[in-house]
Amino acid sequence: MTIYESDLPGVGKKFEVELDDGRRLVIVTHNTGKREVYMKANADADGEKLFEASDRLARKIGTILEGAYFQPVQTEEVETLLAEDTFIEWYSVTEDAEIAGQSIADARIRERTGVSIVAIQRDDELVSAPPPETVLEVGDTVVVIGDRDDCAQFETLLGEDVEE
Amino acid sequence: MATETALVDVGILFTAVAVAGLLASRVDQSVIPFYIVVGILLGSNVLGELPALAGSEVGIGGVAVTVPEATIGGVDLLAAIGGLALGETDFVVVGAEIGIVLLLFFLGLEFNLERLLESRDRIGKAGTVDLAFNFGIGLVIGYLLFGGLLAAFLTAGVVYISSSAIITKSLIDLGWIANAESEPMLGTLVYEDLFIAVYLAIASVLVLGGGDAGEAAGQIAIAIGFILALLALVAFGTGFFQRVLEADSNEFVVVRALGVTVLVAGIALALGVSEAVAAFFVGMAFSSTDHVHDLERLLEPLRDAFAAIFFFWIGLVTDPGLFTLSILGMIVAAVVLTTPTKLVSGFLGGKIYDLDDRRSVRVGLGMTTRGEFSLIIASLALSGAGSGIPVETAETIYAFTVGYVLVMSVLGTSLMQYSDRLEPVAVSWLERRRVGSVRPAEE
Repeated sequence: MTIYESDLPGVGKKFEVELDDGRRLVIVTHNTGKREVYMKANADADGEKLFEASDRLARKIGTILEGAYFQPVQTEEVETLLAEDTFIEWYSVTEDAEIAGQSIADARIRERTGVSIVAIQRDDELVSAPPPETVLEVGDTVVVIGDRDDCAQFETLLGEDVEE
Repeated sequence: MATETALVDVGILFTAVAVAGLLASRVDQSVIPFYIVVGILLGSNVLGELPALAGSEVGIGGVAVTVPEATIGGVDLLAAIGGLALGETDFVVVGAEIGIVLLLFFLGLEFNLERLLESRDRIGKAGTVDLAFNFGIGLVIGYLLFGGLLAAFLTAGVVYISSSAIITKSLIDLGWIANAESEPMLGTLVYEDLFIAVYLAIASVLVLGGGDAGEAAGQIAIAIGFILALLALVAFGTGFFQRVLEADSNEFVVVRALGVTVLVAGIALALGVSEAVAAFFVGMAFSSTDHVHDLERLLEPLRDAFAAIFFFWIGLVTDPGLFTLSILGMIVAAVVLTTPTKLVSGFLGGKIYDLDDRRSVRVGLGMTTRGEFSLIIASLALSGAGSGIPVETAETIYAFTVGYVLVMSVLGTSLMQYSDRLEPVAVSWLERRRVGSVRPAEE
């Protein structure tokens, strides 16, 4: 998934998103807030304009694309960018996880990874701001906050292969 | 209060500009040449001459035409129409001045030094090629046509600087903005804009200075001091500019930004420094605050309205009688010489950005348009008539520039529109040359 970003002085910014079939989606964000969306048949082709949208409409479309209203697939991991390189992520604790059965304090999650566990979803109840003695169980969904590296570290504790 | 005629005059001005803009959009052209032409037509040199014309001969471009008398129902038609002619009132002059200030203010606002430094390699190369080719040929043309170094320097600026406004708008209208060719074009424009800010500072001192060498040195010292003060403001004044615009209403933001910009530009002009350059630096100072997008959004219509007055004024003070055969010849010569230089420098700029032949040709086609900044240089020449530059030379350069911009703005816009047909021709010609040449093809 490659995204090319370039500055357009006096106009705004341009993002080129490589699609799976080799086509490219080009999004021009104007300084005025207007978005223009183009499609390129390939990297070298001219852009065909698909549509343009106001700032508000573009955000709406973006939220729908993000799956805020309907998620057809239960994703393993949902990334939400909080600020520059700060993520809120959801993880399931599987049987492979080395920290399954340990308490947050014993697993030394904060020291080892840098992430903070902000909530744990267990069956139908949500434990928000879990105390350090809370034990992580198989089947829990853990909500953590941290930067990209912290989250990657945490994924290793869960026994997942980290893709880079 | 203004007299009722003054208000009517301004009404005629805006209506004429609106009609001209409508015409321009009908024929898919830039509005700039249309604003200028309508200014010429409504000025004292065309409309104002009508009453005196009945039965006399007019010479335009060396061709003499006899004007018939026209009276309908005892009313002298020519005199009636002639009464509508607009003079160069204070409103128009100051409005045009504000137009220049806002054009350069926006240039500074959208100018991003960090961005320039980030891609300084490619922008620097493409921009330097552009500068060498076009400023170089401008110096030669200016020296040959007008004699004298200052005239050559002014002409070089006129033919070098492409029109950011027209080119950027065309890029968006044609959808090129999503393609690779937009980057070398916009990058080169950034380079040109920075160059022109420095250039205007020097040119205004030379043109407005005049007098003896000691006086000129004093002027230059003041100019440099003022610009250094402005640069210090840009570097250390971000907090101040940020606070100036801390307002929760659009009204306050607009009024305060205008206050700061126009006041600084006015002080600059009073000190003999280019008001355009001062406005550029104020724009740059605002560009590092959080309000950039608000300012762009709020001031853009204002800029366009005043810029329209500026282009109208350019036409208003243009005497079509100045377009003698010799000046028309100069314009043709400049067009013939400086269109290819932009085509070549643009093509090379595209190559510097690793574009293929077709897109590089496109960059060249797109960069040929000249517009608002050439006219700002022309108005600078006019304002210096009699002090730093002989009156006749200044007027000749002015008329030459107006005619040149009229041609180049229409030609450049058309080249971009018809690029689909021009590209294949250029690309096949390039390929034939490569096959024919001994040099290996550059890929």
